[in-house]
Amino acid sequence: MKALVEYIASSLVDDPSQVVVKQERSGSKVVLQLRVAKADMGRIIGKNGKVANSIRILLRVAAAREGKQVSLDVIEPK
Amino acid sequence: MTEKTTLEVIAPTVEEAIAKGVEQLGVSREMVEVEVLDSGAAGFLGIGSRQARVRLMLNLVSYDQPLAPTPSANGALGDMSVSPAAQPEKVSAVAQPEKGESVLEVAQTVVRELLDKMGVKATVTTHLEKSLAPGEQDLILVEIQGNDLSILIGRRSETLNALQYISSLIVTKQVGHWVNLMIDVQGYRSRRERQLRRLAVKLAEQAISTGRRQVLEPMPANERRIIHLELSNHPQVTTESIGEEPNRKITIFVKK
Repeated sequence: MKALVEYIASSLVDDPSQVVVKQERSGSKVVLQLRVAKADMGRIIGKNGKVANSIRILLRVAAAREGKQVSLDVIEPK
Repeated sequence: MTEKTTLEVIAPTVEEAIAKGVEQLGVSREMVEVEVLDSGAAGFLGIGSRQARVRLMLNLVSYDQPLAPTPSANGALGDMSVSPAAQPEKVSAVAQPEKGESVLEVAQTVVRELLDKMGVKATVTTHLEKSLAPGEQDLILVEIQGNDLSILIGRRSETLNALQYISSLIVTKQVGHWVNLMIDVQGYRSRRERQLRRLAVKLAEQAISTGRRQVLEPMPANERRIIHLELSNHPQVTTESIGEEPNRKITIFVKK
């Protein structure tokens, strides 16, 4: 799951070196936190969140394969 | 220009596929070599039927003539709708088949990577479908085949559309220009398209016979488009989409 988010995020941003994905799990629930460079936030979220939501849909497939539930947060850089 | 131009075509029968391909290339039947990739199957009551697939290769001898459309040749076809900006791009896309090939490779790699990281085992094939309308981008068709892939389609093809959207964004980024990419799983999209066209015609008839507005199930944009297009030239009915995404749906009603 983490690898999927890393692959998609690094492929879409202008600055892949700033892509960081953190994974936390509690039981069957997995929370992924994605951080990218401020200038790349728009590419990851997309118009009306379309890109982020598409990533979540694909993540759901990956999670289902492992019998888990997953959520993805895109964290705003400070 | 040493490379051969090849084109893969899908149609209900081999003969139709060849005819369609020859027409797309704008050449005569004698100028292409035909390789039948899949002769198709009639199936039973539409179940298990497969479309025929053929690959056409343009003979090198006649290579230059049809593949370098001059502006005057386009004009002769009566096509005045081509925008000046789109024209050079179209010409270069046609003149450099090797460029199209590398986009296909990129698309294949990207979709494979995504599937691999999603934990889905499947085979991925790509081919280019030449655009019929001048000035319009060729379509990159990515086909995913494997067992039990319904998970890749999702409710109202939500997952398939997400996969297609993310893939086309990544491919666009990697090749540096916008690409028209379509992903199909086990022929789902083409099956669905035939289904939607039939549904459109049936509901148009119902709208006429009852005089009532027919409201369809909510559908994603690409599916609504198929129905709008199917009925766009219908003499008696009009189509309209109502509601907000993701519950936007088509209505069909008799023209006033």
